[in-house]
Amino acid sequence: MTTHHELQAGSVLAPQTNQTSITQVFRYSAATWNTHRIHYDKEYALKEGYPDVLVQSHLHGAFLTKYCTEWAGREARLADLSLRVRRFATAGESLTVQGTVREVRPGDEGRAWLDLELVETRDSDGEVCVEGTATLDVPLTWLAEGALS
Amino acid sequence: MAVDDSVREALEREVGVEHVEELGEVSATLTRRYAAAVGERDPIYHDAEYARALGFANVLAPANFLPGVICWTEGAPYDRLREDGTEADTHLPGVPAQGVRVMGGGEEMHFTRPVVAGTVVTRRTVLLDVTPRESRQGLMLVARYADRYLDDTDDELLRSVRTVLLR
Repeated sequence: MTTHHELQAGSVLAPQTNQTSITQVFRYSAATWNTHRIHYDKEYALKEGYPDVLVQSHLHGAFLTKYCTEWAGREARLADLSLRVRRFATAGESLTVQGTVREVRPGDEGRAWLDLELVETRDSDGEVCVEGTATLDVPLTWLAEGALS
Repeated sequence: MAVDDSVREALEREVGVEHVEELGEVSATLTRRYAAAVGERDPIYHDAEYARALGFANVLAPANFLPGVICWTEGAPYDRLREDGTEADTHLPGVPAQGVRVMGGGEEMHFTRPVVAGTVVTRRTVLLDVTPRESRQGLMLVARYADRYLDDTDDELLRSVRTVLLR
């Protein structure tokens, strides 16, 4: 696993796990005024063909965002994030996010652009719930020698 | 009812039409609640003094806070909610009030500037396109909405393209 040093294409970053819960899904709906019943009404979720209430797509996005910004700290900046929900996750599932450096590009003076591939998996069965990409503005000092060549 | 040609046509009439919403002031309570709900523990989202020491006027909102908030008003009356609980009038321009099931399919976000609590925000939304797709449950429509979030001087805070799945 790579932290903030010796980064180069192919570097694998440490994973981060989020243990979701019905309470969390409810609080996220409340904080975002998301009234979609599929996130709090189990009977409705069953009617829609799901086994329980679902984790919101934006909460998946929040987990990817948190992963990037916690890793970036104060020295780096998250510039772009994209995500695609591949499979649902239900409240109570444990979801793990992990990033891999796809590309390193020159940035402004003393800086570089780091492109990450992100994957969020359901820990119960290893299924990929979300695929994403992120671009961060990082200090050149975080890169391995020759990473830009 | 599920999506059909009439739903697709209604959406296609919305393509390119810009909707401007004054979202109002982003309060520190709202951003702190959002951070708490996500599990963000970074003091920059919770502690105003800490944020000020770093040069910000107040706590920051987590980066995907703006697109994460579904409704910025007090909420629609109950007779203006769809069967799935989503708001009929404001959430997704072009989508009929009843009979359509809605799910988020993903998002592309560009974070232009940090969002500081107290910022007054406007959102400009345009439906980019609608694409029919066959799924196991029948016809599905994939709608892509572009959102731009601006402060009260029209400086961009964030822009995004969100994908919404309609069945």
